[in-house]
Amino acid sequence: MKNKKIYEDLSSILRKTKNIHISVHIVFVVLVLFFWKIQILDHQKYWEKSEANRIREIILPPQRGLIRDRNGKILAKNVASFKASIIRENCKNFEESCQKIASLLNLEIDVLKERIDKYKSLPRFRPIVIKDNLTLKEDVARIESRQLELPELVIQAEPKRFYPYGTLAAHVIGYLQELSQREIEADEHKERRQGDQVGKTGIEKEYEAQLVGTEGQLIEIVDSLGRSKGEISRREPVPGQDVWLTLDFDLQKKAEELLEGKEGVIVVLDARTGEILTLASYPNFDPNKFINRFTPKEWLDLVNSPKFPLENRAIRGLYSPGSIFKPTLALGALDSSIITDKTRFFCSGSIKIYGHPFSCWFKPGHGAVNLYEAIQHSCNIYFYQLGKKMGIVEIARYAKLLAFGSKTGIDLPGEKEGLVPDPIWKRRVKNAPWYPGETISVSIGQGPILVTPLQVATHTAIIANKGSRITPHLFKGKTHFPKGREWQSHPGERNPLKIKNSSYEKVIRGMWKAVNEQGTGRAARIEGFNVCGKTGSTQLISTKGAEKLAQEKIEIKTHSWFTGFAPRENPKVIVTVLVEYGGMGGVTAAPLARDLFSLYRKKYDR
Amino acid sequence: MQEIYLAYTEKNMIDRNQIRNIDWILIGLLLLNSVIGIAIIYSCSYYLPGNYYLKQIFWIFLSLVALFIFISIDYNILVTYSFYLYIVFIALLAGILFFGKLTAGAKSWIKLPFFQIQPSELAKIVVILLLAHVFSEYRRNHLSWWTGFSSVAIIFLPVLLVALQPDLGTALTYIPILIASLILVGLKRRTLIFLLIFSLFLSVVGWNFFLKDYQKQRLTTLISPNKEPLGSGYHVIQSKIAIGSGGLLGKGYKKGTQSQLRFLPARHTDFIFSVIGEEFGFIGVIFSLFCYFLFLSRLFQSAIKSRDRAGVYIVFMVAMMICCQFFINVLMTIGLFPVTGVPLPLLSYGGSSLLTNYLAVALVLNVKMRRFVNV
Repeated sequence: MKNKKIYEDLSSILRKTKNIHISVHIVFVVLVLFFWKIQILDHQKYWEKSEANRIREIILPPQRGLIRDRNGKILAKNVASFKASIIRENCKNFEESCQKIASLLNLEIDVLKERIDKYKSLPRFRPIVIKDNLTLKEDVARIESRQLELPELVIQAEPKRFYPYGTLAAHVIGYLQELSQREIEADEHKERRQGDQVGKTGIEKEYEAQLVGTEGQLIEIVDSLGRSKGEISRREPVPGQDVWLTLDFDLQKKAEELLEGKEGVIVVLDARTGEILTLASYPNFDPNKFINRFTPKEWLDLVNSPKFPLENRAIRGLYSPGSIFKPTLALGALDSSIITDKTRFFCSGSIKIYGHPFSCWFKPGHGAVNLYEAIQHSCNIYFYQLGKKMGIVEIARYAKLLAFGSKTGIDLPGEKEGLVPDPIWKRRVKNAPWYPGETISVSIGQGPILVTPLQVATHTAIIANKGSRITPHLFKGKTHFPKGREWQSHPGERNPLKIKNSSYEKVIRGMWKAVNEQGTGRAARIEGFNVCGKTGSTQLISTKGAEKLAQEKIEIKTHSWFTGFAPRENPKVIVTVLVEYGGMGGVTAAPLARDLFSLYRKKYDR
Repeated sequence: MQEIYLAYTEKNMIDRNQIRNIDWILIGLLLLNSVIGIAIIYSCSYYLPGNYYLKQIFWIFLSLVALFIFISIDYNILVTYSFYLYIVFIALLAGILFFGKLTAGAKSWIKLPFFQIQPSELAKIVVILLLAHVFSEYRRNHLSWWTGFSSVAIIFLPVLLVALQPDLGTALTYIPILIASLILVGLKRRTLIFLLIFSLFLSVVGWNFFLKDYQKQRLTTLISPNKEPLGSGYHVIQSKIAIGSGGLLGKGYKKGTQSQLRFLPARHTDFIFSVIGEEFGFIGVIFSLFCYFLFLSRLFQSAIKSRDRAGVYIVFMVAMMICCQFFINVLMTIGLFPVTGVPLPLLSYGGSSLLTNYLAVALVLNVKMRRFVNV
């Protein structure tokens, strides 16, 4: 048996082992080739991937610049907002922690789970926001007291825009909203990313570039669970510049108080520079709500509200000027020597022109009135005659010269132009000839003519300044970090119109009388401040006109206007008031103007 | 019986010739690769609690002692009693299945006072011995139905028990042993190629046309029980990034970002080769492949030094077992083989696997040192 083993022939199976051994050589060579491909040929690709793996870029958001009124009062600032997030990785028992968290934060467990489910594709170490705008005292304190028990629940702070006075000057300040993917694709905000808050209207939008600042960047090393293992580089964010507005907090506040419960506008301008002291539009809205993640219902309520609270009526509301258009006409007529201050027309309460009856608002009639009395008592008949003599082309020319029909140039987005009608416009837009009767309507500010309250204020400033036009503006200056405050100089575009100084003086005299000598604007009178002004009520003049207006879907109810300035010599301040459906201008609008004149006087004119 | 008695008495009298014939070079290569393993394990786990590298060193000493004890017993005695050993291990595997505790998703451990051990690894040694026993007297040039069936059955029983644990990765490592024995017994090359192509075809067709997505998902998670947290393929992606980013020279010892920052999963066990690729680069890969190649070549060459058929079978099966496991693991790290939880023999952290491989090498040494016995 031993011998048999010794002489056993193993050569055939040994050959097989040898063959396999040789194949193993080949496999090793192939392996080397594979590694050559991955490590040498594709090295760059994998190197980049490994760098991307371990490096995390964190954006350090800059503080958005503050918005202040002319005296430094802060109208928009940033506060820390707290949000609660869950880190699933830290959950000992997911179900259990969901229940605990839901009861801690007063959330419904299904809602909570649904929200977490929405983000389940995120890595487990990433926090998922489950509630934001936590109250500092209640929620935050409550969560922190149970931090040891619930390590999966974390609180993060982020800067949030806050408007301390809520609705105050909301239309001027505007609001922020999250940038949507669509807007990024539209290339409006190239350097921004989804979820960034950007100004949507108002100053927040107009001065976005100044306010936004430059974001910083932090590059750090992280491990596979996202834990930071140290910083590589850090660039601090540059805070945005503070924007100082020309607004006066007290006047703005007063104006909004006066408008409460109404729909209307109050504009207060510095007559010399065009600085806007007040730009109140009512009803208004709370811009804080746009940041506090709107519920869809609240949002739709605001957008669809029949009173359009989001509209800035001061620059976007289009109204018939009514009687406040009369000084325009008077200036035109005086300047083109159609009348003198002595020319009189007789007012019997109504008049028939071109076969149509036109009436004065004062049914008994004003009798024979000259220019001063016509402005003082706002006599319609006088201005019908004036308009008839001037013709629509001249009326339109002077209206355009005196700030109507074009944008005032205010530094707010979305301003409207208004409309000064003439035969060319009628032909182009309505494809119809101009009817002489329409000229009569336009001459008392009715008919197709449309103006914005800010245009009326600008127009009033031209009269007050006897021809020099100013551009109304809100931007006073900015705090240029770190250089300090920089005022923007406004030389007040002294660009005198070619209308005689004496014509202005005559119209101003009429406006002075309207307020101070028992005229229609007497409710605006302030002893010793020499307020000059003109009231207006956009009333209906004929049934035919009413039908026509109704067809064109223009608001047919009576709006209440007052526009004026003070003092008579060296005017300082312009006040324009509009109250929708307010009735007679002298009754509703003029007293509001008076309150503002008197507050202005108390504060600035001592 | 007399023969067994003779062999037994020989065991008790290890003569100088036998000691002289111990293949010290093979032991040296074995230790060289183990030391490489320790260095890499240290690099990717020194910052973790658990002192993995110290445990690995302990296991290497233990395995070395076991190796020297093992070579003192004539392999022919082991082969003769292999059937009883086989029965014992099958009983153990079955016992674990019924009484074992679940650890990391599988019942594969026996807990001993100071350490735990996987009988599924050690059972491979017994299977090798039993197959050698079956084929040692088999001299025909082609496979008979009965031998074919019994060899398949010998493998199938432990594979089934291990797969049920469920530990498909370890079960898979039994297959090369069977293939090795079938190659030697004379499976015609044509048949072998046919079988390979057929099974490949079957799996490709099955995967693409008959399995639904969730079934595939189940299969992949069955195959790799250490479930990946970030979707399937995460292991492979991170492993390829680690290897590729190493480049020519590597990122340096203990400086691999993929492993140090824990992007690479199972880095001290199944994906230890990726750490070599990342920290030592292409040069390091070539070096460690070369060390391993020397070791495997030495194993394969040992077949000639066998005095009988059983010896050739043992040497070849051991070589194939380690070799295939090595290839599967390395191909897995570069994404050319599914992630199956097969450790890299000698290098990966893990006592049972290390002990098994040392005992397997001990068998080869055993065969070599007794080549001149009875001459």
